[in-house]
Amino acid sequence: MKHVVKILSLVLAVSAIWITLLQAAIIPQSHTWLLPIYFVVSLGCYGLLMVGVGIMQFPTCPREAVLLNHDIAEAKDFLSTNGIDIGTY
Amino acid sequence: MELADRAVGLLLSSISLSIFTYYTFWVIILPFVDSDHFIHKYFLPQDYAILVPVFAGVTLFSLLCVFIGMVMLKSKKKKA
Repeated sequence: MKHVVKILSLVLAVSAIWITLLQAAIIPQSHTWLLPIYFVVSLGCYGLLMVGVGIMQFPTCPREAVLLNHDIAEAKDFLSTNGIDIGTY
Repeated sequence: MELADRAVGLLLSSISLSIFTYYTFWVIILPFVDSDHFIHKYFLPQDYAILVPVFAGVTLFSLLCVFIGMVMLKSKKKKA
């Protein structure tokens, strides 16, 4: 619950700053809705970009994968010989 | 499958970059261009620049709510 409160208070603070900037005529009034939406869209784009870059740079470990498969086969053998039933799923 | 991963990552990054450049052009650069320029043919009228992201955001939010509702219903069915 407290995390939601933190996020909501952050949103409230940002909107308060935006309204004061509008009132003080620093930002032209025709752009009231355009600039916040632009920032939200660019934030979403930035998140997507970071996800794409992370996927591209994700390291695979082929040797460890082979060793892990060995371990899995060994464990399956051991369990099936000792009577515990593992249905393959 | 490293290649598939890299292809997906590349696709995602290219989509995000293209959306960002298109939207930046639409909102920031186009108001400063003369209305006779040919580039205006490639962009929708400026009113859509607000409608499209808001519509997408509302759709996303409603899909999220539907998903949460379905998960809650399923968990209640299992208990009873």
